[in-house]
Amino acid sequence: MGGRKALAALTALCLLLPGCARKPAQAQATVFAMDTVMTLTLHGEKETALQETLNGLTETIHQLEGTLSATREDSEIFALNRDGQAELSSCAAQLLEEALALCEETGGALDITAYPALEVWGFPSGEYRVPSGEELEALAAGIDYTQVAIARPSAGSPASARLRGGGKVDLGAVAKGFLGDTLAAQLEQAGVTSALLDLGQSSIQAVGAKPDGSPWRIGIRDPAGEGYLAVVELTGRAMGTSGGYQRFFEEDGQTYWHILDPDTAAPARSGLASVTVIAPSGLVCDGLSTALFVMGLEEGTAFWRAHRDFEAVFLTEDGEIIITSGLKESFSLAQGYEGTGVTVLE
Amino acid sequence: MRRGHFLLALLLLAAVGSALWLLLRPSTAHPVARISLDGTLVEEIDLEAVEAPRSFSLEGVGGLTNTIQVEPGRIRVSEAACPDQICVHQGWISDRTAPIVCLPNRLIIEITGGGEALDAAAG
Repeated sequence: MGGRKALAALTALCLLLPGCARKPAQAQATVFAMDTVMTLTLHGEKETALQETLNGLTETIHQLEGTLSATREDSEIFALNRDGQAELSSCAAQLLEEALALCEETGGALDITAYPALEVWGFPSGEYRVPSGEELEALAAGIDYTQVAIARPSAGSPASARLRGGGKVDLGAVAKGFLGDTLAAQLEQAGVTSALLDLGQSSIQAVGAKPDGSPWRIGIRDPAGEGYLAVVELTGRAMGTSGGYQRFFEEDGQTYWHILDPDTAAPARSGLASVTVIAPSGLVCDGLSTALFVMGLEEGTAFWRAHRDFEAVFLTEDGEIIITSGLKESFSLAQGYEGTGVTVLE
Repeated sequence: MRRGHFLLALLLLAAVGSALWLLLRPSTAHPVARISLDGTLVEEIDLEAVEAPRSFSLEGVGGLTNTIQVEPGRIRVSEAACPDQICVHQGWISDRTAPIVCLPNRLIIEITGGGEALDAAAG
């Protein structure tokens, strides 16, 4: 009965092999939103379920963009800037509250009311211009996050925001991070335990680890060249980078970038080329990377020592690399940069 | 050996062979640059098959043009008619870590395949 045995063996093999070689399911989407392109990658068991979750995430992205954009005329933030007051949906209120707390914690190094200055410099429109010293002085005087106040008349009723003075709110520095937090919560609710959310250029949110259990490997761009200078291993945390090379223009041999110092309304020149922050919250990563970039290495180091609830990578314009002690295990230099010295802050 | 047995053995061998090939084949396919405009794939370039540097222009939905330069193993946007020049500043890419994006033109250049790469990049 050799034939039957062989047949049985063959059948068993055919049944078993696809099992061994089975590729776990994956769903991916590319979304144009918030002035960038986002790539969402979800891993799991069933592709249809992942796809459904993914559609939900895309919906959330467009919804939040419509609420938070400073340039879209139907957004809550646009209404706040135009009328000096606006009713807020619960997510906008939450973001604004968290962002204002971060402004306060960083002593105003992060300030969400710098939008008029950004407009004069031409960053939202691309029509760049270097303002005069007088203009900058006036603009700097108008940057003050304490102009924004959130009121919650009573529990259950919608919150509202008021804006005093001539300031205008721009949540660009924190919106993508907040989006990452929101999407990560949505994924957790859907039972997805492995996902990587690349929210465009500077904000990454890792949900869990890779399907094989190993951490996600995220590159940090070399501010002075092309490619990646270092790699950070990330599991279940967010990462945000702020650098002067991301968005800038040149005039008369000078480079002007989009991260403004709230004290001067001019591009922040602190000697840092980029700051990367790693923390559980995407909003904290985004907001702090901007604030630390403005502060500079010395003040930034002191801020980290006083808080120690996040990790950071500072890259100076002189090519120095400084990391905080919690990254000792998860930080490595990329190929071609192995010889570079790294200072660890303790 | 009966003829049926022989055929069966052959089939078995083929099954084992192809299964092994599926399991053990090298996962390093050629890096291929996929260029899309507003979500539509307009060009695919096998970067390993590029022999001589060349460049070409693409006009996007916004009417803006991007000049794309290809060299063996790598690709970049060398010129763009947009104000922010983010795509130009990004320089060459040679693996699938991060795509090049020109937002005003809705242009994306992403690389698929290729060897080892990072999962994403910040900065």
